[in-house]
Amino acid sequence: MVSARGLRVVRCGGGALSGARAVFSADSKYLLCASGDFVKVYSVTTEETLRLMGGHADLVTGIQLNPHNHMQLYSSSLDGSIKLWDFMDGIPIKTFTVGCKLLALYTLASAEDSVFVVIPKKGERDTFQLVSVKLTKGAGQDLEAKELLVVLDGVGASAKQIAFGREGEYVASVKEVNLQVYFFKRKLLNRFSLRAVKTKGGDNQFSCVACHPTEDCIATGHADGKIRLWRNFHHKKEYTYSALHWHHDIVMDLAFSMEGTRLLSGGVESVLVQWHNESSCQKDFLPRLGSPIEYISMSSDGALCCTLHADNRITIINSNLRFSRSIQGLIKSRDVKTGLVVDPRTKALVMNGEPGHLQFYCLQSDQQLFSLDIVQRQYIHEAGLKQSDLVKVAFSAQGTWLATVEEREEVTDPELELKLWFYEEETQSFKLNTRINTPHDNHITDMCFRDMGELEDDSLILVTTGRDCVFKVWVMVEDTDPEAQQSVSWSCDFVGSYHNYQATNCCFSEDGSLLAVSFEETVTVWDSVTWDLKCTFCHPPGNIRNICFGRLTCSKYLIGATDYGFLCCWNLLTCALEWSAHLNIVVLQPDPLSEHIAAVSWLSKESSLFVFKPNEPRPIYIQRNLCKEKILLAAFVPRDEPETTGSEKYLWLRRSQLFFLTDTQELMTLSTKPLEERLTPSSKQLAVEESLPVTPFSLLLGKHRRQQSQEDTDLGKLVVHNKHEQASPAVKELLHTPAHVLPSASFLCPIFINSLLISKENKSTEEVVDEVEMESEKTEDDSDEERDVTEMEQEDTSHMELLGEMTCKLSKSQEKELRKIRKMDYSWISAF
Amino acid sequence: MASPPCAFSPRGRRLFAACGPDGRLRVWDAAGSRLQHEYVPSAHLSAACTCLAWAPAEGRQIPSKDGPQRKKRKSEVGEVEKQLDILAIGTAVGSILLYSTVKGELQSKLDGGHDSRVNCVRWHQDNCCLYSCSEDKHIVEWNTQTCKVKCKWKGDNSSVTCLCISPDGKMLLSAGRTIKLWDLETKEVYRHFTGHATSVSSLMFTTVKPMNESIPFDGITGLYFLSGAIHDRLLSVWQIRSDRKEKNAVMSFAVTDEPIFVDLTVSEVKEEPVKLAVVCRDGQLHLFEHILNGYCKKPLTSNCTIQIATPGNDGDSTPKPVPILAAAFCTDKQSLLLVYGNTSQPVIEKVSLNTSEPHICLVRDIQKVLSLKTDAALTKVKTPVVNSDTKVLVPGIPGHSTAVKTPASGKEKKKNKRKPGETEESIEERLGALDIDVSKVKTPGGLPQTDSLAVLLVQGLESNDAEILNKVLNTRKENIVKNTVARMPIYAVIPLLHELTKRLQGNPYSASLMVRWLKSVFTLHASYLSTLPDLIPQLGMLYQLMESRVKTLQKLSRLHGRLFILASQVAASEAVQDVPEVNQTAKLVYEDESSEEEGSDDEMIADKDSDENWDEDEEKEEQSDEQDMTVEKEINGDSDLEPENESEEE
Repeated sequence: MVSARGLRVVRCGGGALSGARAVFSADSKYLLCASGDFVKVYSVTTEETLRLMGGHADLVTGIQLNPHNHMQLYSSSLDGSIKLWDFMDGIPIKTFTVGCKLLALYTLASAEDSVFVVIPKKGERDTFQLVSVKLTKGAGQDLEAKELLVVLDGVGASAKQIAFGREGEYVASVKEVNLQVYFFKRKLLNRFSLRAVKTKGGDNQFSCVACHPTEDCIATGHADGKIRLWRNFHHKKEYTYSALHWHHDIVMDLAFSMEGTRLLSGGVESVLVQWHNESSCQKDFLPRLGSPIEYISMSSDGALCCTLHADNRITIINSNLRFSRSIQGLIKSRDVKTGLVVDPRTKALVMNGEPGHLQFYCLQSDQQLFSLDIVQRQYIHEAGLKQSDLVKVAFSAQGTWLATVEEREEVTDPELELKLWFYEEETQSFKLNTRINTPHDNHITDMCFRDMGELEDDSLILVTTGRDCVFKVWVMVEDTDPEAQQSVSWSCDFVGSYHNYQATNCCFSEDGSLLAVSFEETVTVWDSVTWDLKCTFCHPPGNIRNICFGRLTCSKYLIGATDYGFLCCWNLLTCALEWSAHLNIVVLQPDPLSEHIAAVSWLSKESSLFVFKPNEPRPIYIQRNLCKEKILLAAFVPRDEPETTGSEKYLWLRRSQLFFLTDTQELMTLSTKPLEERLTPSSKQLAVEESLPVTPFSLLLGKHRRQQSQEDTDLGKLVVHNKHEQASPAVKELLHTPAHVLPSASFLCPIFINSLLISKENKSTEEVVDEVEMESEKTEDDSDEERDVTEMEQEDTSHMELLGEMTCKLSKSQEKELRKIRKMDYSWISAF
Repeated sequence: MASPPCAFSPRGRRLFAACGPDGRLRVWDAAGSRLQHEYVPSAHLSAACTCLAWAPAEGRQIPSKDGPQRKKRKSEVGEVEKQLDILAIGTAVGSILLYSTVKGELQSKLDGGHDSRVNCVRWHQDNCCLYSCSEDKHIVEWNTQTCKVKCKWKGDNSSVTCLCISPDGKMLLSAGRTIKLWDLETKEVYRHFTGHATSVSSLMFTTVKPMNESIPFDGITGLYFLSGAIHDRLLSVWQIRSDRKEKNAVMSFAVTDEPIFVDLTVSEVKEEPVKLAVVCRDGQLHLFEHILNGYCKKPLTSNCTIQIATPGNDGDSTPKPVPILAAAFCTDKQSLLLVYGNTSQPVIEKVSLNTSEPHICLVRDIQKVLSLKTDAALTKVKTPVVNSDTKVLVPGIPGHSTAVKTPASGKEKKKNKRKPGETEESIEERLGALDIDVSKVKTPGGLPQTDSLAVLLVQGLESNDAEILNKVLNTRKENIVKNTVARMPIYAVIPLLHELTKRLQGNPYSASLMVRWLKSVFTLHASYLSTLPDLIPQLGMLYQLMESRVKTLQKLSRLHGRLFILASQVAASEAVQDVPEVNQTAKLVYEDESSEEEGSDDEMIADKDSDENWDEDEEKEEQSDEQDMTVEKEINGDSDLEPENESEEE
């Protein structure tokens, strides 16, 4: 049953997350984002993928919640369809086929049954228009949506360049140095343009736009890092704008908070800036976000915001600008120079991550384990600045040693550094053992450890080949220096060259006795003990592209692929060519656990896979047209447990799995399992009913909430504002008065209980009474306070008295006078 | 005090859930030993968590819809081995919480089954049933779909402490005072076993098929199961037999302390031994490997004991043991996941099994591991350790590169330049052999001469006395150097060269002194050196050293030139400071204008004008900047010539 189907190419590692702005669900519990051709639903609290919704045939370009039902989601794709999903269950509800590429999607609460999309204008290249699409209410699942109404012409292709204003009254679009605002009701189009700066390639250009949710205000981001806030744009002439400037480079995205009091902006500096009240002096920063910010989105309740980064990461940030969670996909670096390497310790795939980092990607759980900062230098985001990056990585067989080569491209000669790291069990981390500056005078082309399996440690050998026409052999030596704290370090043991040709590849045989190094057109084979040149092979036209030794039963063969499209197999015992095939081999990858070798050829826009054993020239497995993209790298990853496939044909996939990376940075693998087996139907899932006992608090509030949310949805609003008109005043009082001014609980209890009782009489009067009671209580409080105040005053006065005594010290002259007065006889008074 | 409940997620062992003493449930990522999330039940203080159980794993996949227009090979998602995310938590008050680890929220609460502490919860493998037992002597079967009690029966006369469901899912083991095997359909006792003297803490089936294949298998007969109890250092293995008589344990495993966590690999084939990992209260892990086959009177001792301790190398601190909290076998049965350290922040590590040694002590610096982990919250970036004791190889230092040899001369493959001891010996031998020459050379120069330090130098070289050598080699006078080298005995040339090579690697100042010596040695003794047969290995290092130094000369002179230009430019700009001041006055003028215009805000045109002014001003600035730049460039252009001059001067 398996053999009936071919192997299927399966994508792993997830797509690029930064295809469109992410959307929070209405309750801010879930985060929805476009990931390649899929829409993913993440849980905000746990970072886990809840749902994966596939169905689009091309990149998803926009996702928006259905404004009339916040459990539904619209998604648009380059394949020209709009889909409506129930994202909680991951079910597609409807598909609307528009028929042309959709580049961005917008929804409006006020627009009844239409959404807005950006499409390329027919007949003209690189001009786009914003159209509204009427979504017909048909019965079927697949519907046609052909009713297009052009709203704006000449808009930008990016979703960031259009924003809808307050309650959908207007739409703002920016492109180059022009801002267009279209008012739906008045059918008025206002155009504003900035003066293009001539000196430096249009610094003034708009990059993104956002509209204030409650006021008539448009915020625009510019390529020079300025943010302009436009007001009064109803008038063609009398508009005003003010500028906020912090970013030093292009503003990548802008987002207003739900109330409009805060504006978030982000750019290549990887700093999230929060502007308060549209003033440039009040701003907060969240720095060190890791990589450039591509998109910013806010949750509807304003509690969370999230940033999408260039390195395929989503960061969820609290409203007080504290980092909360991050969801990391496979980092797609521009150029995977290190190749795909498997870490023997963690079984993770290791490749270039962020500049200067190595990412360890766990294939079993399909998530990043961690990334290792090898270069350990501050990365500065600036164009034209040359940064150190990793170019080669090699692990020893047991994973105890890691060799990395970093390179900084210079005009004259590259700055190279070879680092050897030892995995320290004690601290569970790699520790730098030896650092070698300029190991080669020119680029390092290849690097490999001698795989000795069990006999590691003292016999470990590392070989590097360079464009400076030599290969170097590095060995571990005991340190004789008593001052050195380490017992072992690495040093060069042998430098080999061949006719001053550039060394391009190196490879050890399985038992480690032979080293094959290719020098342009020639493969040289060296004895790894004496470093004698044993023999040379060559297949004249074309340089050697890849070499590898056969394994197990085929260890006497050496395989090489040349530039001119030949795959050659040499016998090491007879030193003769065993067979050759005419194939343009791009990737040659031996399986470490079997004798199979996978070769990927590239011929006129399609990659084909050939799996063969070196001892027989006939391939075991051929898959033509593996994928449309060019495959750059491949790796066999050992499986945890051997796969039990019945078919003989796929025995080569039993013990290890083949992964490959295309030039679009897409990680793929081959799966033998048929589709049905791989995807267990949802019915098989253990369904656990959500039944939570309601807490008294939720009982109390739940009713009102529900009512309210219904009203909100009726109004087409997702915002849950606090409107408690219907709530019982006592409860309201209780919940809204700050805790420190509340009277004791014993006092409140009867009121509270009373408020919950269903009154037989007129309810309102009772409530009034309650309120009165509350108020009286309050006044009591007040009077208490007043009393305190008076006491304080009394105390104060006494203090004053004391002070008076203290200060009323008489001067000496006055005392004398007093005495005089005392001495004076007042008896004469009595005479009166 | 019972140990805090913890559990690994089934199959992939990707997650580890542990309930701390503070009532918080923490879920850890086993691969990165990273805290995944934390859940605080609302009643965590009153109703502490007593037991945990992960829902059985099923290849949960979110079905991606196959659109009709979609090509098959395009865009399929890789298989992800996802566990079902539900975690059942038993509490001290008798309720059971179902927590979703994917959503990070409470899914449902099972109430009304028990009125006392829940001792154990177990999921049924196939249907969505949950079994729980409690202090209140009852066992309850739950339907998790409806969250209702399906069945409730009295399990024992005392509290029921542990449960286990048979591999075929039709029987249930319960442990109270005795161990009972229940038929799940009829809820009747099928077998009795004596059990332990104390309450049973763990129950597990060790086999899925009976060892004796001759008897037809009815799903339960012939199977073995394991039980461990608190305060009991013996784990017992029981066999379910067809006859009802045998009630005692078949065999037992002895450990050092009461078992707190037990994991085993179920043997599916008869020949395959059962691997058992028992974590004891004393923090040790015992590994057993045994083929279950009938009786064994003596308690078996462990094949391997694993302990963890801190290194204790800093200061006088002694190594302290680190308790192991839990252990689980990986899917390949060859490696073990160890959880150790503190319960609130455990470290999870994968250790490959090597049972050849009876006792393994792993040294782990738990402090460092933790400190490494805490700061990686935002981006999962780990920083590897880089400290000062790293060896640094720069061009010119021995070991950076050996002499380039042509393949033809590859016969002398082992160079022992890394072992100076050997070379020294050879020199001594050489000196011994040439002993006669010494006297010969010394005697001719009978008269004491002050313009040569040859004798002193030879003495210094022979005795390897750093003081004498410093005195001699630090002379600056050209004459003395020349004379000394000329009068030096011929056998001392090579030792001198070695000494010079060593000193050349030191600081550049002393190297400049050594160069004089080298120069005179090579001018005066070139003929002797050329006769030496092993010249290449003897002087290889020196050659490399010089080569690498010469190579950097060009770069250095270039740098020198650039620095010189910079310095001169700085000096020049200090001298000519009038120009920027002019610019500043212009700025002042602009500000006056703009302030006026800002006063009339509503006038749009004026506003616009001001903006234009702004831009123009910027332009001006930029232009002036650019002018500066061009000036710089011009000077840079000149620089190409200057460094050469510099180098020539040097």
